Amino acid sequence: MTQREERRAERAAAAGFGVTVLACGGLAYVYLQGGQAQLEGLLLAVAFAGVAYGFVTWGQKLMPQGPVSEDRHHLPSTEPERERFEADLERGGVLTRRRLLVRALGAAVVALGGVALFPIRSLGPRPGTSLAHTPWRRGMRLVTEDGRPVRAADVPRGGLVTVFPEGHAGSADGQAVLVRVEDPGRIRHRPGRDDWSPHGYIAYSKVCTHAGCPVGLYQAETHQLLCPCHQSTFDVLDGARPVFGPAAAALPQLPLRLDPDGYLRARGDFPEPVGPAYWHRA
Amino acid sequence: MSPARLGAGALLAAVTIALAWHPGRATSTTIHGAAAGDVRAIYLADCGVCHGAGGRGTTRGPTLVGVGRASVDYWVSTGRMPLGDPRLSAVDARKTPARHRPRYSRPVIDALVDYVVSFGAGGTDIPRVDLRAANLAEGGELFRAQCAACHAWAGDGGALLHREAPSLHRATATQIAEAVRVGPGLMPAFGTAAVSDRQLDSVTAYVRYLDHPKDRGGNPLWHLGPVAEGAIAWIFGTGILVLATRWIGET
Repeated sequence: MTQREERRAERAAAAGFGVTVLACGGLAYVYLQGGQAQLEGLLLAVAFAGVAYGFVTWGQKLMPQGPVSEDRHHLPSTEPERERFEADLERGGVLTRRRLLVRALGAAVVALGGVALFPIRSLGPRPGTSLAHTPWRRGMRLVTEDGRPVRAADVPRGGLVTVFPEGHAGSADGQAVLVRVEDPGRIRHRPGRDDWSPHGYIAYSKVCTHAGCPVGLYQAETHQLLCPCHQSTFDVLDGARPVFGPAAAALPQLPLRLDPDGYLRARGDFPEPVGPAYWHRA
Repeated sequence: MSPARLGAGALLAAVTIALAWHPGRATSTTIHGAAAGDVRAIYLADCGVCHGAGGRGTTRGPTLVGVGRASVDYWVSTGRMPLGDPRLSAVDARKTPARHRPRYSRPVIDALVDYVVSFGAGGTDIPRVDLRAANLAEGGELFRAQCAACHAWAGDGGALLHREAPSLHRATATQIAEAVRVGPGLMPAFGTAAVSDRQLDSVTAYVRYLDHPKDRGGNPLWHLGPVAEGAIAWIFGTGILVLATRWIGET
């Protein structure tokens, strides 16, 4: 490359860096003037492109270009070195000295294995039976997400409310969907659950039994609860039996009763664990 | 001009006229003017076939007794009722009527609401929406929690099991509030236990805002969401990267 070409490449790279400086200046100006997201993004892109152009030009035009070869040096050891090695080998001390290293390494591995057990302890206290229960207790009122108790009269026919146990608004495993079925006579009760859905008010766990998504979509006309994640569909009139999608288990039903003041209360906890069916169900 | 060409031209003109000419459809004419007597006639002509002369319902349509003002106003003012052709939607229970230009003028709708409500008491009254009292941020949170699962995050509507949730963009504030309270068709009703009156103002304001959202990211890409945005980013982004890599690799 001639002197002249080199100078031209040098100027081109410098111009790239110059563009970066200008774009950064422009970015600062736009930002201080109140900002405009698209323009700022464009200027930032120009700034990076300037640096990139400079680097690439520098690398391509001004750096020494390959390929470069280097002669191999003389490979075999010298005669005195070989003799010394053979002497060491025959004496036998060279290799046995490693025994110390091997033992030390063994100790280190054992120590590391022991340390690896610590995170298991750090996982916290053992869950025990807590996974099988939710905060719902006998007599608890149903409350909305902001903690207001749900009056039965405030739920219209065909209506839907997300409810929580009183005092546990926002509870992840306690959340339930309360539905008021328009025609209570159409509910097919499971054995022993005849009085769990007074006047057509019926509640199920909102945690999908497939992957734990909130089952928040309710098709009032078809009485089906839909999970937005994988379209698992549950029949509200038939014990939230899955009728479509990947979920295999019904949503656990929350036993309800209507108190004399018109508020809805739970008769107890869900009869089975809520959420994905990865542990044993009775 | 040759006779063959003339004939072809005449045929083309005839086809064009035939395609452009629609025989006057009942759905596209708006009925004006209302007196109490007219309303009864309109009801019997357009509604009674399915809902019955006294609104008690037939095998073709549900009862209207006690449905309330909000429900009647919603169905008629969105043009979903009366059905253009009852055979189409009523027979196929999987089809929810779509939004149309309303068949009647405002006074007729009001008179029709009064007439249908006279069949029996009950139901929800038309909600009064006060958008000035609304909190747009709260409305956005409520929308994402309660509405977005079906109507999509930008209110464009979405697919359900065998059905679809409609777009919200052409709904008026009153219609939005009515739909929330009444739960037309597939939609569940949201009473004051689920959405308080103040929250209803907020969520209505947010749905109206979705008609003209402030798209801070530039081109909204039809509000389709991450799929469209990701596709554009991948195609254009990787394209530019490939070109840049080629340029850097040049010697």
